[in-house]
Amino acid sequence: MNEQKSKNVKQQKKPSLQQALKKSSLAFWAITPMLIGVIGLVGLFQVLVTPRMLASLFRGNALFDTLIGTLAGATASGNPVVSYLLGGELMKQGISLYAVTAFILSWVTLGFIHLPVEAEVLGFRFTLYRNILAFVFTMIIAVLTSLTVQALA
Amino acid sequence: MKEKEKPFTFRGKFFVLLVFAAYIVLFFFNSHIALLALQKSGRVVLKILPIFAVVIVFTALLNYALQPKQLVKHLGEESGAKGWLVALFTGVISHGPMYAWYPMIEDLRSHGLRDGLIVVFFYSRAIKLPLLPLMIDYFGVSFTLVLSFYVLIGALLQGWIFEQLERKQGR
Repeated sequence: MNEQKSKNVKQQKKPSLQQALKKSSLAFWAITPMLIGVIGLVGLFQVLVTPRMLASLFRGNALFDTLIGTLAGATASGNPVVSYLLGGELMKQGISLYAVTAFILSWVTLGFIHLPVEAEVLGFRFTLYRNILAFVFTMIIAVLTSLTVQALA
Repeated sequence: MKEKEKPFTFRGKFFVLLVFAAYIVLFFFNSHIALLALQKSGRVVLKILPIFAVVIVFTALLNYALQPKQLVKHLGEESGAKGWLVALFTGVISHGPMYAWYPMIEDLRSHGLRDGLIVVFFYSRAIKLPLLPLMIDYFGVSFTLVLSFYVLIGALLQGWIFEQLERKQGR
């Protein structure tokens, strides 16, 4: 009898695939306004913050440019392919590998536009810590990558 | 213990209204740019709709296949090295923008997913497998390999530091 009881409990706990699909669809539907807001901001940023504008921020100082690269990548939005194309162009213009690495890395790991949604979904403290860590590590990785590539060359 | 169902509410209504207001203001100043931004947003929606569908189905399948207890075993406090590796691997193979994954992460987190693993997942997304050939073409093989290596190490370190910070605060 006990076996039957525990079997019933197990059966009650396991949702059917249909229930699971309904639950995940509802969870997604609930954050639709946030996603629409972010996508709206992505459109605005893609039009207002042009690649040329971002490229003009670099000054030729490796340290300063690494910081600018990280901030510019975090501000920009869109497909990472664009960051590679832009990074390649920046290198042709003589911008340091430190800055370009920071730029293409922060493009995908940081996003000022997503911050409100990340904070709403995962909490303010989580968002703050994660983004500070990602910001610092992006700069460290950019410097380490450039130094290692130079050493290997 | 029976999980309490939260009542359904839309989240981020104020945020979407703010963005809507920004569009209205921009429309009055420069309708051409506002329409262009709207068009770009429309393109983003079309591009990421399939990703949203994948995330919904994937979340449902995870909920269906894995009981909360199993999930905690694989991705919770007891997950150990396997948890870190799973977070790293899924981050590398995940596709689309970061925000597309928030609902699934939130759902898994409510079932016990460790915060450190979320940090690892988000950072390891910097490695884009389909784009590696393009990166090699632009920046060379050594750059791509070195960067990918540091990203993986950096992702793990961030996850670890994050958990230490949480522990220090007694969370």
